[in-house]
Amino acid sequence: MRKIIALLIFSVVFWCSSAACGKVYIDINSPAFQKFPLAIPEFKDLGNMKPGENLSAWFADQLSSTLKITGFFKMISQDAFLEDQSRAGITVEEIDFSNWSSIGSDFLVKGGFSYDGKNLAVEFRLFDAIEGKLITGKKYWGKSEDKKAMVLKFADETLLALTGKGGVFDTKIAFVGKEGSSSEIYTINFDGSDPVKVTTYKSLSLSPQWSQDGAKIAFTSYKAGNPDCYVIDVASGTTQKISSFRGLNLPASWSLDGKKILMVLSKDGNEDIYIKHLDSGSLQRLTNDRAIDVSPTWSTDGKKIAFVSNRSGSPQIFVMDSEGKNVRRLTFEGSYNSSPCWSPDGTKIAYEGSSNGCFQIFSVGEDGNNLMQLTFEEGGGESPSWSPDGRYLVFSSKKNDREMVCIINANGSDLRVLPDIKGVKSSHSPSWSQHLNLY
Amino acid sequence: MKRNSIIVVLLALVCSLSLVFLSGCATDQTVKSNTIKGDANISTMETAKSKAESVALEEDTLKEAALKAKREQERLMAEAAAFKEKDIHFDFDRYDLTSDARKILGEIASWLSKQNGWEITIQGHCDNRGTGEYNLALGERRAETAKSYLMSLGIAEGRIDTISYGEEMPLDPANNEVAWAKNRRDHFLVVSKK
Repeated sequence: MRKIIALLIFSVVFWCSSAACGKVYIDINSPAFQKFPLAIPEFKDLGNMKPGENLSAWFADQLSSTLKITGFFKMISQDAFLEDQSRAGITVEEIDFSNWSSIGSDFLVKGGFSYDGKNLAVEFRLFDAIEGKLITGKKYWGKSEDKKAMVLKFADETLLALTGKGGVFDTKIAFVGKEGSSSEIYTINFDGSDPVKVTTYKSLSLSPQWSQDGAKIAFTSYKAGNPDCYVIDVASGTTQKISSFRGLNLPASWSLDGKKILMVLSKDGNEDIYIKHLDSGSLQRLTNDRAIDVSPTWSTDGKKIAFVSNRSGSPQIFVMDSEGKNVRRLTFEGSYNSSPCWSPDGTKIAYEGSSNGCFQIFSVGEDGNNLMQLTFEEGGGESPSWSPDGRYLVFSSKKNDREMVCIINANGSDLRVLPDIKGVKSSHSPSWSQHLNLY
Repeated sequence: MKRNSIIVVLLALVCSLSLVFLSGCATDQTVKSNTIKGDANISTMETAKSKAESVALEEDTLKEAALKAKREQERLMAEAAAFKEKDIHFDFDRYDLTSDARKILGEIASWLSKQNGWEITIQGHCDNRGTGEYNLALGERRAETAKSYLMSLGIAEGRIDTISYGEEMPLDPANNEVAWAKNRRDHFLVVSKK
């Protein structure tokens, strides 16, 4: 985990109107939600920059692309800008807001930076261009290499001010990267940057599952021949084998306290769901059915478990309580529904279901109501996983003979494909981390 | 004096003759015994020779047997390897055996029942539609179903191993019906016991 010790936040100078008043500009969950039209002109050099280092365009571009991938902003093209940027300033007094409102930019971010020989100081200001007032402003100090962290921090502030909730800029996605006949576990940042190869077994490694604190990933690997279950400490790389019964040893979902993992074991010749208690190593069997029972997922409060079973003839989603009692069937439409993932607010479950011969992502209320199809892509969608704020889903989609990891907004809009990684032919089985406090 | 000398000579002659005779007899006996000894040596040598011959023969037989065994082993290996080309196939999301699958498993069982020194690993595979985890379970079911069928045909459980690779090792990575049908399979590895 990267610590930015030198990064200080100074927010006294700027009035933080929306956060202070608790005003949320627009409810992004509303069906009528329109993206925030936002302009970000080049940042101002406020002096003393090291020669050869021009960050004016860099800050504007970075903040633009970061906010754009949230799916909540419509970025106004720089070609449309009317303001003479060489003359305009970055404070309310120095801005003619009609230059911005007239080109359809309801919101505006301005900023500037300076260097005192040791630290980089960067100011960010978010304005309501219609009202002509400051919404929020922050000033950050840090080393030059912390500048991306500053951008991510202010992107978070911007979302908080406009929507009442910050972003998921400090989260990562774990997934399986196939390289020929072997596959390894990878992680990548929310914005598709900084891919990291977590395992290097040159074997089949599958089903990564983040622990709730983001420190560990459980996964299955064939590195010893059998599909055994391992837990890797992401920072140190220390790996522990936690289950190696004959047959399948699949991790599925961590408990909030990190002490239990829901698992699928087939040691008795039949795939059933168990709780593995990591402290004692003991097993608690939850299902005992002749059918296939797989893919268990805990509700956020840990009181319920959704899972897949073909006990009624085809794979369908079922819900039971945390002791394995009171099993009820959740999905009735379609002949193949699997891979459930409980939303962070506990109200709904995302899953993949077959639709016209192709798999797509759906969500359904915890009570079985409000069924919604979220993806309509040609390549379909499989293995959904929620972002910790519940605003996004990550899943895999097929194209020709490849699979790619994609992100959509929870309402199904703004599909984004994570970038290709060198040496990785195909990516699948994504798992979204909790907040990792990276910045 | 002359007469005396002749008698002495005659006596000496008789003595020497009798000595010659006696010694001749003795010599004869020695030769005979020598001959017997020689005969014994010859027969020992002859035994050694026949032993050598029989060892050589045995070696030949062994060599021949080894060759035969090697050829037999090669034949068995070829037959075992041929099962790699005899995948059995399944319908989508199914693990019940088709009649074709039963026929192939019947051939495998009949072969294994004759070749006690061999064992089998059944790999269960799926097409890439649906969830990876469910497909790992489905692949396991496909392998286990084939295992149960082999057991019902008299093959001991201890000779049958199963492993599921789910959708992770497709024969054909394409996304179409032909590729999917190829990929929904049990693959057989028949190997000599270690």
